[in-house]
Amino acid sequence: MTRLLNHFQSSVGSKMVMALTGLGLVTYVVFHMLGNLQVFEGSHALNRYAAFLRDMPILLWTARLGLLSLAVLHIGLAIRLGLRNHRARPVAYAVHEYRQASFASRTMAVSGLVLVLFILFHLLHLTAGVIDPTSADRLDAEGHRDVYGKVVHAFQNPFIVALYLVGQLGIGLHLSHAVTSSFQTLGLEYAAFSRFFKAAGPAVALVVVLGNVAIILGIFLGIVRG
Amino acid sequence: MKFTLKIWRQNGPEEKGRFVTYEAHDVSAGMSFLEMLDGVNQGLIAKGEEPVAFEQDCREGICGSCSLVINGIPHGPDRGMTTCQLYMRRFPDGAVILIEPWRARAFPIIKDLVVDRSAFDRIMQAGGYISVNTGGAVDGNVLLIGKDQAETAMDAASCIGCGACVAACKNASAMLFVGAKVAHFATLPQGKPERTRRVKAMLEAMDREGFGSCGNQYECEAVCPKDISVRFIATLNREYLRAGIVESGLPGEPGSPHAEST
Repeated sequence: MTRLLNHFQSSVGSKMVMALTGLGLVTYVVFHMLGNLQVFEGSHALNRYAAFLRDMPILLWTARLGLLSLAVLHIGLAIRLGLRNHRARPVAYAVHEYRQASFASRTMAVSGLVLVLFILFHLLHLTAGVIDPTSADRLDAEGHRDVYGKVVHAFQNPFIVALYLVGQLGIGLHLSHAVTSSFQTLGLEYAAFSRFFKAAGPAVALVVVLGNVAIILGIFLGIVRG
Repeated sequence: MKFTLKIWRQNGPEEKGRFVTYEAHDVSAGMSFLEMLDGVNQGLIAKGEEPVAFEQDCREGICGSCSLVINGIPHGPDRGMTTCQLYMRRFPDGAVILIEPWRARAFPIIKDLVVDRSAFDRIMQAGGYISVNTGGAVDGNVLLIGKDQAETAMDAASCIGCGACVAACKNASAMLFVGAKVAHFATLPQGKPERTRRVKAMLEAMDREGFGSCGNQYECEAVCPKDISVRFIATLNREYLRAGIVESGLPGEPGSPHAEST
């Protein structure tokens, strides 16, 4: 086991751990988006879904701690690899021209930082209710916590909407490079699938962003009402 | 033709370097980039100045000696081409051309545009070989190798070790070089017996030399004079993952008495 741990200490090993933790986080993000789409089914559906998730404290806390450790590993290794990479070229080029690197691949550190800040804000805002305590923990007609009311209230504020849209920009950029990149890092390469692997990143990014933006703008434009 | 050259001059590894501007006159369009530099150096020697140091050898795109980052691109503006095969007709008359050495911690500058690429040699010494008994040469075609495998191995083996991949990479990573070498051996039966040990040793050597890690931007592939594909980086990753699984075995299981020693 120590041998295996040592194996993942190297640069390539660290990248593999980053790829795996990243894919874990992406899976959560996709299901988070799918679950939240129930806002379009009305308050009853979303509040019941929220209560269903909350009713299993063991599952809830396992998921929370799991996500936290995935995120800590992912970010920690990103910083470690980033510092190493920075040290690998002490004197910069006077002129440097990119030939085929995508915009998303060049801005991974920035989009990652945007994501960290956005996730912290999001947790304080809708999970902990610190940023906007006015609508926290009201109950709906069935006695469930009124998550629906809270979300609808939140996205009527243009500042909140703008912040969440910036967050979606970050997640879209990050995922469009990250998902495809993770396949390469894990050594998944096969001529017949190369187009599929190449398209996977932008496709996942597009689906997640479209789903989330639909919720945000759906409420802001009054398609979903409180 | 006439060009204005801004060339990086640095007297030694520890000295401070700077760009110096030179004029190249009477350049013919059919001259290679290195011949144009030869002309500039002749002028400098005639004036009693120190000529610009740059590396070159075969001048036919096969030895991997020439380097030079030209206007921000290793080996200049064309794909699949070394600096020695780059002709001056590729540049507009009167152009300003900026010439820099490869820049990476693992490739320290020796003088002007010459860098020390022995880090690649040390990676090769760590595992870039196969062990063969001495004695009579084996007959040809004793080991039958499929056409597709032979072609894949040849694609990887065409790496000339020039280091343009490191020079182009934002992280100064040597993964395309190591990937090409590992894939070359891992594809052929002669390389199979040592594959587990090889990939570990070569990657450890790569980390030790201070190269960065791959960010999957594939700039390396774009500047590689031999068009080495980044799929060999995936092969390298796969070989490394395999080595980790093979080596660790299952938890609690005694090591196989027949396991490859490391």
